[in-house]
Amino acid sequence: MKKIALVIALILSVSLIYAQEGQEKAKQYPKLPAVDIKTLNGSTFNTGDIKNDGKPVIISLWATWCKPCIAELLAIADVYDDWVEETGVKLYAISIDDSKTAARVAPFVNGKGWDYEVLQDPNWDFKRAMNVPDVPYLCILNGNGEIVWQHTSYAPGSEEEVYQELLKLIKK
Amino acid sequence: MRNIYKLAKLTCLILFVCGFVFVAQSQHVVGNGKISGEFGFNGMYYIPDSLIGAEPVDSKVRANTYLSLMYNNGGFTVGAQYEFYSFPLIDFEKIDYKGQGLTRFYFDYKHKIIQVTAGTFYEQFGNGFTLRSYEERQLGVDNSLLGARIKLTPYQGITIKGVWGIQRENFDFDYKYRQDFVRGIDGEFAFGDIFPVISEKGFTATVGGSFVSKYEKSDYDIYVDLFPGTDRQTEGIILSEKIPANVACWSTRLNFGYEGFRFEAEFAQKVNDPNATNQFIYKKGNALFLSATYSMKGLGVSASFIRSDNMDFRSQRLALAKTPVLAINYIPAINRQYTYQLISNYSYASQPNGQIGAQLQVNYQIPKKTKLGGKYGTDITFNFSRFHDIDRVSVPLADSLGTMSGTEGYKSGFFKFGKKLLYQDVGIEFSHRFDKRWKLILAYNYITYNMDVLQGHGGMLQGHLVSSDLTCKINTKHALRLELQHLYTKEDVGSWLYAMLEYSISPRWFISVGDQWNYGNSVKGQRIHYYNVSAAFVWHTTRIALNFGKTREGILCVGGVCRSVPASYGMGLSVTTSF
Repeated sequence: MKKIALVIALILSVSLIYAQEGQEKAKQYPKLPAVDIKTLNGSTFNTGDIKNDGKPVIISLWATWCKPCIAELLAIADVYDDWVEETGVKLYAISIDDSKTAARVAPFVNGKGWDYEVLQDPNWDFKRAMNVPDVPYLCILNGNGEIVWQHTSYAPGSEEEVYQELLKLIKK
Repeated sequence: MRNIYKLAKLTCLILFVCGFVFVAQSQHVVGNGKISGEFGFNGMYYIPDSLIGAEPVDSKVRANTYLSLMYNNGGFTVGAQYEFYSFPLIDFEKIDYKGQGLTRFYFDYKHKIIQVTAGTFYEQFGNGFTLRSYEERQLGVDNSLLGARIKLTPYQGITIKGVWGIQRENFDFDYKYRQDFVRGIDGEFAFGDIFPVISEKGFTATVGGSFVSKYEKSDYDIYVDLFPGTDRQTEGIILSEKIPANVACWSTRLNFGYEGFRFEAEFAQKVNDPNATNQFIYKKGNALFLSATYSMKGLGVSASFIRSDNMDFRSQRLALAKTPVLAINYIPAINRQYTYQLISNYSYASQPNGQIGAQLQVNYQIPKKTKLGGKYGTDITFNFSRFHDIDRVSVPLADSLGTMSGTEGYKSGFFKFGKKLLYQDVGIEFSHRFDKRWKLILAYNYITYNMDVLQGHGGMLQGHLVSSDLTCKINTKHALRLELQHLYTKEDVGSWLYAMLEYSISPRWFISVGDQWNYGNSVKGQRIHYYNVSAAFVWHTTRIALNFGKTREGILCVGGVCRSVPASYGMGLSVTTSF
């Protein structure tokens, strides 16, 4: 019981800090956490280095065993050329496949013919830093590398919402 | 009464969290730092159902709840997680994942070439053959280490890691009574990063190695059953001074790539480690993993091989649970992983103490705008995997004693497949989009599944599976998805049919109805319908789902790690959010 009270107290105090901060500051967006993950070649890549020359970035957390993730990436692949042309966006597809299936990520991606930047997070360090409970998860970064929009799950057609968010960013 | 009190507490906690999340959704930034977190609630109201074997439970309302918070400012991060699993879902109760407490708390600092972590951490060396601490919430697996980690990157492409820690054992926090700990070191050299000239020519090459050692006090004798599986109840004894307190495990690995080609290998060895999972034998363990892949646009080929022999490596030698409780390392099951309901009911589980097998997969895309490929192209995936037990010949001493315990156990030819087949899967899958509206995935699999080894009873199962997944995008927002599956088998409980219809209104709503029907059961009264109705609402990173229905008794596998699931019937509510 003591412990629960402690947790509740912690939550309350943090909420209060939030509420106060909220009044003082204009809307600020969090930066993407900088975590070491892997490239398809096995070398280390820090997620703090994800950038796109001031243009928006989409980050998708996915896995070869996750059907809705693949459906989402396939749906985006169909319109990706148009998105790139209109918004200059770049998509980073970060796979959370562990050593069971990690070796099959590269052939899988090439088999699908995707033009995405593909990275690997085999022990979920990035997934944890992003507080993502389940895949599929998608977020949009603005030109400054700040997370401005996030979404979990995939329903056919929800890529349209992603597109609308990208257009909003471009207009700003 | 006590339950109601506990539930009231739980409700309060949830309300607080929801309020917190509401505030947090609008503001993330505190000073120059950032607070973020994750909350999950998974509850169920159980209804007994004797037909499916859902037994009455002592408290009908049960829930798994957790909250994790993290504060990050520059290179500095602190975080904590509280798990409330005092009345967990019955499948978690079955595997002893029950209790509550602060299950994670850590402090992490990163500056240029150095990163230091104190507290709870997760780490993986290479493929995890020597060390992998990870979490899989769905399974109730969390073997995080509590201790310290240091990571150095003295030069681009060179990474050195050192860890020391005590492993988490569910909700047992009596660390002062623990007599075991794990320490390890890992180094990795990415030559492409160290010498840019290599990567400029299109080559990548990484080599690495790790050494992990477990210490566990050995001040007690171990009594073993000399004739396991027989009526003769004779106990043998392994004296405490003969039990190694330190057990070492090391591995080397290599990763080489040139353009679309990639080769990967890891070999690990473990010294004598008599423990409950290997019947206290003194044989050394080893594991080999090889993988070669080739890919170009529209084509991907991958072939991998694994052999593991006596590689179950845990913090405590008496740990015997089927789930990887106290597991220090991770030996992956490399077969193709499916999400289709009926095939996943017979999913392969990795056998660290004895498996040899291979997996081959080919992905090919019939190009777009061709006669066969249609406007959008057709994806074809072919897959073959087969796993056997390793070859085992008992050592003479084991034969004469009638037991493996205390001896070298057995000898095994390294590349020799054992007689016992564990699992085989041959499959082909087509994925085709007809037009903007219709998309179809069609798959056929032939599986052979050793129920004796993988489920503990029942012999060999052979099954033919046909799975289909048809999506109809009615317009930009509304879509229907129909899954139909059929498993034909004469073994176990016979054939099954599965149908599921999902209606989604993107991006917020999902409604589905599904039924798993055991129509081929030889007992008429057991031809049960396992129906399920569910609705889910998604708002940014928050997902709320409600479901009602029956779950069959079986095996749940995530990432080749499996646990049993008892039959259940009832209403469930789950909420997950991150902020």
